[in-house]
Amino acid sequence: MTNMFGTNSITPFIGKRFRYDLFIPVVLTLCLGSCSVQSCYEEIDPMMNTILLESGTGESAKASSLTVKGVTPADTIEFVDAESVSSFSVTLDPSIDKSVFYITLDGISDTAVIFYTRSPHLVSPECGYTFISTITGLMTTHNIIDTLIIDNSNVNLNGEKNLHLFY
Amino acid sequence: MAKRTCICFISLLLIAGTTAVSQDTVTVPLHLKAGFDLSGPIMKMIGSDLTSYGATLSADINSSLAVTAGIRYSTFQTSDYSYDFMSRGTSVAVGPDYNFIKANIAQGKHYAGIGVRYGLSFYSEEATVIRYNNEWGAGESSVPLSKHTGHFLEITPGVRTEIFPGMTIGWNLYLRMLISAGAGKDLKPVWMPGYGAGTSGLTTGAEYYISVTIPYRKIRVIVKPKQKESGDEEELEEGPTQTVTFPTGSGGRL
Repeated sequence: MTNMFGTNSITPFIGKRFRYDLFIPVVLTLCLGSCSVQSCYEEIDPMMNTILLESGTGESAKASSLTVKGVTPADTIEFVDAESVSSFSVTLDPSIDKSVFYITLDGISDTAVIFYTRSPHLVSPECGYTFISTITGLMTTHNIIDTLIIDNSNVNLNGEKNLHLFY
Repeated sequence: MAKRTCICFISLLLIAGTTAVSQDTVTVPLHLKAGFDLSGPIMKMIGSDLTSYGATLSADINSSLAVTAGIRYSTFQTSDYSYDFMSRGTSVAVGPDYNFIKANIAQGKHYAGIGVRYGLSFYSEEATVIRYNNEWGAGESSVPLSKHTGHFLEITPGVRTEIFPGMTIGWNLYLRMLISAGAGKDLKPVWMPGYGAGTSGLTTGAEYYISVTIPYRKIRVIVKPKQKESGDEEELEEGPTQTVTFPTGSGGRL
């Protein structure tokens, strides 16, 4: 019995031992089946990230006050209300290919319309699906905003900067 | 006459080299095996979202090596709080199995070894409902039915034994490595038939097979090599014991 695979003395025990070991997977299978519920710990809403820049110089700018509201046919939704900010992040409406925002910088308001295409993206079996977007165009009024340009059109879960707002 | 005898003897020695005294051999049957996986129906009975039926065909090439082909049909249907998902498809996996047990012990009845497979999964997936709820409000969408082909590699250690002539049972663990789900980075399947969670690069699990075995041929396997007659005796005493299988047509067939 020095070597399981090399001697004949163990031969009579192999059958019994194997038959005993064969019950292990039944237990394993039951355990696997009972341990399958997991929770979602990931961020699943892609954010459109915008940085504020000083018009003319292109330097990073810090607004003393900023509010951003999303506009729906029925309501307006406040996304951002902050002071002394140099960037902001908002989600895009996953139900349509257009989102309208009221952006108020230092007390002066503008309207920005973002056009995009949506596609489903599986985050994980636990977290389910989200909608990532590709920005196809934008329009804005120019009360305080000088220019709003697309830096990176992919609005996904990677946290990349998408828009440059010059004012 | 004495000269002829001498020439003949020398010729035999040359043909046989310097080996030819004693060797032990065993006769081992080679089998064809057809197996059915019991773990799929067991998982279904305990309430899994997965329905999976798997079968394998295996042919022994020699006492330690076999070629195995498996086929599996799976359907997966789940209703989560945020989505309803369905996938179904057929997967095939082909590759060799290597038995670590020596031929004189295994005798064609026992297996403890490891297999390697290349797998293909032909499947369709659909998210019939995607529910979302964020700052903009709640809503529903869907992902239409689409067909894909995925690839994976599988390493599968396991054991099997003959419970009575013509019938073996055994289990094997598997480690599957995804090569490609074939559905792009955004729509990886929640469950890829034959592989597992399509968002995971590695999946593990166990299968439990009951198989019918049919011996189709017997081979003679040397379990103790021939010992050299003279000159090299010292080397033989130190040399390792090897198991050698006669290839087909080399005289090993009985």
